Amino acid sequence: MKDEEIVKKLAPLLAVRRPEEFWRRQKKNIIGAAPGHSTVSGTWLLVPAAAAAALVIFLAREPRGPAPEARAVSPAFLEHLDLLSDMDVLEAVPEKEL
Amino acid sequence: MTRTGKEETSPSLPAGPGGDRFAGLIEEHQRRVYALALRLTGNAAAADDITQETFIAVWKHLESFRGDSSLKTWLLRIAANKVRSYWRWKKLRSWAGLGREEAEEDAPALEDLIPDRPGSRPEAAALAADMERRVQAAISLLPPRQREVAVLRAQELSIAEIAVTLGMAEGTVKANWFEARKKLTGLLGEYL
Repeated sequence: MKDEEIVKKLAPLLAVRRPEEFWRRQKKNIIGAAPGHSTVSGTWLLVPAAAAAALVIFLAREPRGPAPEARAVSPAFLEHLDLLSDMDVLEAVPEKEL
Repeated sequence: MTRTGKEETSPSLPAGPGGDRFAGLIEEHQRRVYALALRLTGNAAAADDITQETFIAVWKHLESFRGDSSLKTWLLRIAANKVRSYWRWKKLRSWAGLGREEAEEDAPALEDLIPDRPGSRPEAAALAADMERRVQAAISLLPPRQREVAVLRAQELSIAEIAVTLGMAEGTVKANWFEARKKLTGLLGEYL
């Protein structure tokens, strides 16, 4: 068989048959994906990115100041309280101040 | 550069029905590019991706198209390179142990095989699916270079055009076509 005859028979065999809707959908997708074609469908991708960026900024920002620390209670203060409970306060007051 | 600028540097672009030249370009060549990608990968999803990537690349690099080759040859060359990248990626994935069974992925979706004639849907779909499988199986049995040459030859490109598209010497194209033709005649004898 001649080369051209084989090519003529091979061409329809290897051609791809798809409904028109397939080609329309494909064309639409390509045009939508081409740079410069602004599409609403692509814009939504920015929303999670923006949310993530806001979260990172929030977490990374400088803390306003150290949280107020609970006042430390020294052992000396506790000992002082013990002494007060054991003794009669009035006796501890010098006579001149009474 | 703006889109208008691209159009000015590419006077050979066909105009689409709505005056959109890019849309016209897609309409004129999408079947050819998709067929090439599908026959060379055997994977409908990959063929769809490659078709899209090819046209996006054309859109981006249209200004660098010097017109030394025809637009058709240029488009097919981009598509063939993308197919080669696809196979490299597949090999890499396989090497990394990330390959997976893709039998389902390889098969085209049933609704894509059904022609737009509701009365003959089941029979037409069955016949189309059967022929699709046989043709694809035969093509897939060819070594990569022979496969490329055979698919382009089936798109009625000349030996010289195939040489430009694939970046091969014409003698190499002829040798690959000779082998591919012999094998395909044996495998698809009932159709040829």
